[in-house]
Amino acid sequence: MGNKTVNLIGKNSMRIVLTLLPIIGFLILWQLAAMFTSIGNLMPGPIQVIESLFISFAKPLGPHTIQMHALYSLKRVMVGYGSAVVTGIIFGVSLGLSKMFRALFRPLFELIRPIPTVAWIPISILWFGVDEMSKYFIVFYGAFANVALSVYMGIQRVDPVLVGAAKMLGCSERQLTFKVVLPSCIPYIFSGMQVALSAGIMSVVVAEMINSYEGIGWNIHAGQQTANMTQVLTGMVALAIFGLLMAAILRQVERRMCAWNTRNT
Amino acid sequence: MADSEVDTRQREILVRVRDLTKRFDDLLVLDNISFNVYRHEFLCIVGPTGCGKTTFLNSLTRLYDITSGEILLDNEPVDLRKHNISYVFQEASAMPWLTVEDNIRFGLKIRKFSKDVADARVEDVIKLVNLQKFRNYYPAQLSIGMLQRVVIARAFATNPTLLLMDEPYGQLDIELRYMLEDELIAIWEKTRATVVFITHNIEEAVYLGQRILVLTNKPATIKREIVNDLPRPRNIADHKFVELRETVTQLIKWW
Amino acid sequence: MKKDFFSKYTVISIISVTLFFVIWYVLTAKMMIVPAYVMPDPLKVFGALLRKFTVKTPDGATLGSHIAASLQVALMGFGFGTGLGVPLGILMAWYKTVDRVARPIFDFLRPIPPIAWIPVMILWLGIGTEARAAVIFMSAFIPNVINSYTGIQQTSQVHIWVGRTFGASDFELLTRVAIPSALPNIFTGMRLSLGTSWVSLVSAEMLASTRGLGYMIQIGRQFSRTDLVLAGMIAIGILGGLLAVILEKVENRIVKGRQGYGK
Repeated sequence: MGNKTVNLIGKNSMRIVLTLLPIIGFLILWQLAAMFTSIGNLMPGPIQVIESLFISFAKPLGPHTIQMHALYSLKRVMVGYGSAVVTGIIFGVSLGLSKMFRALFRPLFELIRPIPTVAWIPISILWFGVDEMSKYFIVFYGAFANVALSVYMGIQRVDPVLVGAAKMLGCSERQLTFKVVLPSCIPYIFSGMQVALSAGIMSVVVAEMINSYEGIGWNIHAGQQTANMTQVLTGMVALAIFGLLMAAILRQVERRMCAWNTRNT
Repeated sequence: MADSEVDTRQREILVRVRDLTKRFDDLLVLDNISFNVYRHEFLCIVGPTGCGKTTFLNSLTRLYDITSGEILLDNEPVDLRKHNISYVFQEASAMPWLTVEDNIRFGLKIRKFSKDVADARVEDVIKLVNLQKFRNYYPAQLSIGMLQRVVIARAFATNPTLLLMDEPYGQLDIELRYMLEDELIAIWEKTRATVVFITHNIEEAVYLGQRILVLTNKPATIKREIVNDLPRPRNIADHKFVELRETVTQLIKWW
Repeated sequence: MKKDFFSKYTVISIISVTLFFVIWYVLTAKMMIVPAYVMPDPLKVFGALLRKFTVKTPDGATLGSHIAASLQVALMGFGFGTGLGVPLGILMAWYKTVDRVARPIFDFLRPIPPIAWIPVMILWLGIGTEARAAVIFMSAFIPNVINSYTGIQQTSQVHIWVGRTFGASDFELLTRVAIPSALPNIFTGMRLSLGTSWVSLVSAEMLASTRGLGYMIQIGRQFSRTDLVLAGMIAIGILGGLLAVILEKVENRIVKGRQGYGK
């Protein structure tokens, strides 16, 4: 028995090493290319980027250090995303449960949906100025549709077998809704929230690139304006870390709430 | 049409299996199996569920590599490109992106039959399984019974030297099964293919087979070979049939 | 059971949409609760949309040429992204050596969100059509590779075995079994790519362009021409929707007969 566990651990670490190896190899190639070939004129090597990232924790880029920039972006995401999740769930649930609600609001929803979130940036500036509000709005808009749709789909896709079983046990309409339908669409809610999160983050980054004086998006944009590729790449790395962190936190929350559902993230 | 039973020693051997052994890691599934398959015969292989019948067929067709032993078709090692073999799988294997007609044509295309010959064979075979009306339907629109007929039609379309079938009627209800078994015998008699038919349904084996090989459980070997020369069409209520069935059942029950 | 087309709910839907426009009109044109630069009335927006087909101010081009510019870049990027992404995904899934070479590069590029490519491409290629097309290419490329890869990976073992027992060569298995079997996934990849491409296009045009619908709404904002901004948004939505519908039609023709598609 003990022998088997050791074998498994060995196999798992082998697998992790094997996946990381090519990426590390690629990074090495990149570094060498940056140092010794003309690619170095196009962009810095990974060492320089990481270095710059660490430096920016102390030395400010523009008006703030990188953590401050991240915090600005974070604040915007939290406000917009938080409100989008709450309203999105309410909207999606109403769409799913009430035929009347659906008839009233679905057509408008579908009419507005094709307009991509980023297309709303100019009008949000006209409405809210260069304020924080315009960023909140964009994050909100980017996240709302995803959450609402996922919830709606979740309700539509409730396993009819479950509903049938519950009805056979004598469930009332109300019990059915709260004890069968809503709980079973929680996985859909969370998958919608994941997509909405990345959509929200992307939208805010674009908004920051266009119309802002701080934030991760601004950072990347400023790098481009000053032809500072290092800053651009550093910003991208910061963005990637930011996004991964947020997604991981969300996944942990989901794991707590949905222990009964194994979903591939 | 009654079978004419020829003395086994005079019959032509199509497939020679010698000491076939198949091992998956530490699990020995097939243990030194040796036997012959005679040309034009209908051979049934029965055994308890999970004894390795599917492994055996897969080894025969080189879908699995064998651990040791030898399988010769016409005195050469089995080569799927050269030898004209068809295989009807246990699971539904019709291609969902092709119509009934195109499914039947599938094997013909790969084996590079000319267009005219292929068209003629598709017509012949689609009539044999009674699916002319459905030739432009897609598998998603057909029932399992019809899908198995498509697959059988596809298997016969290439006029195979050797036809392998792995419990093709396992999922069907009894009436459909009886009908398809009769259909199968009719096609076999018409095309004179060599059929190796695997099943765990003893009645089916006795109904269809001219010879029945009984396998033991894992590690599988041949327990016994039974010759079945009951005249066709066979009657499952006939006392000789029942006797034969009992014999086979007893062989499988105690191993 | 045939549903009556004019069921009670359809009527309500029609009423709600109409009501939306009516309320919008009343609140803006008649009651003027907000100034026109915040929210113009629907007729003004519609008028601006129509007039833009001929009027060049304030951004220097007609709506027609903006649409053409956007479509041109979008289709170019999408075309290349799909034309390269789908085959790469297929080859990566089928041939181990291709996978070993391409995988590390791909795994590195994959987590990079499409918009992040905008500043990079601008620095490398300057502000112009090439940079935008390159950004669209990256947005379209990644989902196509991933979905084609998954599609081929998911080829059912039984179907491969059918091919093999009929004596198919490895290449025949790829072309006659794996690829047809993967078509639904390939089209899903294309659908996703189209969506992300269109969004990336608008973003890129807002940041780095002098033509196109994204640029048009940016300039509209700078001149406080909210009617133009809204008109542009509507054009973007309609165009994006149209492209999606066209793709869907193509998909239905090619992937016919399978579960979930009609005959």
